[in-house]
Amino acid sequence: MLVIVVENVPPRLRGRLAVWLIEIRAGVYVGDLSAKVREMIWSQVEQGLEEGNAVMVWSTNTESGFDFLTLGKNRRLPVELDGLKLVSFFPPDEADSSASPSGKGPG
Amino acid sequence: MLPPLKPIAMKERVSMVFIEKGQIDVKDGAFVVIDETGIRTHIPVGSIACIMLEPGTRVSHHAAALAARAGTLLVWVGEAGVRLYAAGQPGGARSDRLLYQAKLALDDDARLKVVRKMYEIRFGEKPPERRSVEQLRGIEGARVRKLYQLLAKQAGVEWNGRNYDYTQWDNSDTANRCLSSATACLYGICEAAILAAGYAPAIGFIHTGKPLSFVYDIADLFKFDDIVPHAFKIAAKNYPNLEREVRLMCRDVFRQSKILRKIIPTIEEVLAAGELEVPKPAEENIAPAIPNAEGIGDVGHRS
Repeated sequence: MLVIVVENVPPRLRGRLAVWLIEIRAGVYVGDLSAKVREMIWSQVEQGLEEGNAVMVWSTNTESGFDFLTLGKNRRLPVELDGLKLVSFFPPDEADSSASPSGKGPG
Repeated sequence: MLPPLKPIAMKERVSMVFIEKGQIDVKDGAFVVIDETGIRTHIPVGSIACIMLEPGTRVSHHAAALAARAGTLLVWVGEAGVRLYAAGQPGGARSDRLLYQAKLALDDDARLKVVRKMYEIRFGEKPPERRSVEQLRGIEGARVRKLYQLLAKQAGVEWNGRNYDYTQWDNSDTANRCLSSATACLYGICEAAILAAGYAPAIGFIHTGKPLSFVYDIADLFKFDDIVPHAFKIAAKNYPNLEREVRLMCRDVFRQSKILRKIIPTIEEVLAAGELEVPKPAEENIAPAIPNAEGIGDVGHRS
């Protein structure tokens, strides 16, 4: 299972994602693809993101049963607590300063 | 309106999460940790077996109530995961289970059978016939000491015996510290499972006299399979952040061995070895006027 959610991205990226995935709600794409295809799609999201932001989540054999990656500025950033990946929600004013465009969360 | 919150079964949960610092509170009905800069992290409380609260955390009344409703054990742990105190999940919700466990512990024959079963599970062979619990404990102690020595040697760490002294944490050697951290994680999930199954953590069969005697009994059944060898491997590698490595290891081991699926069935198996019937309520007892609601949690969860 693979889910990609995009916000504020150019229509051409949304169209591109719809090539492989089903858009079940605005900006929410679902599919079931291999790791290789997933990486290919993610690299395209990276290239077409511009000012927007994106998150990709897929089933894998972590303890939670899934893993996720983020790109772009968002108030929600991944944090890792001793091997368990959770999400921190930043206050509005700090979102700009703390959010790293690389999508790698603090800690 | 949303329906009331109910616990989910232990086997469907993630093993544990350690919270280091911050104010733990409820926001919009969700369990959150808020740090001093206002960053809030949502903890999926209902899909975790136990939440380990380290020094530097403050828990609101509302958050503790939410954890209880989700059937999640809150464990207050000290520096490096050595337990100080634990509470949070309302256990003992099943009088029939408690009476069954107490009956087994009080009946000498049944208790011996349970202890023999524990011995069998741990060492993979039936213990010698006609031994008392006392003698079995002696045999077990000797085997465990040898096992520690063997596993330490395999991992290549120095081993001078298990040193439990929690008052002198810094004095213990690396191997002992790794073991203590790892077993603290194991005790947390075992206690959560025991409570979720409706049993009492204090009524032990081999161990006795501690609030967590039964937790130690059950944890011992799993300890030597993966936890101890891996703890020694970490001790051998001399990591700068020992406790973190141990926790990552525990999470991996717990996931791979699917321990949360196994603990409750193992408890049932061990107790069934006592060959006693689950006690039926006396005829003059009054059944609940309002029947219990059906839940999707484990039997000991309040629904």
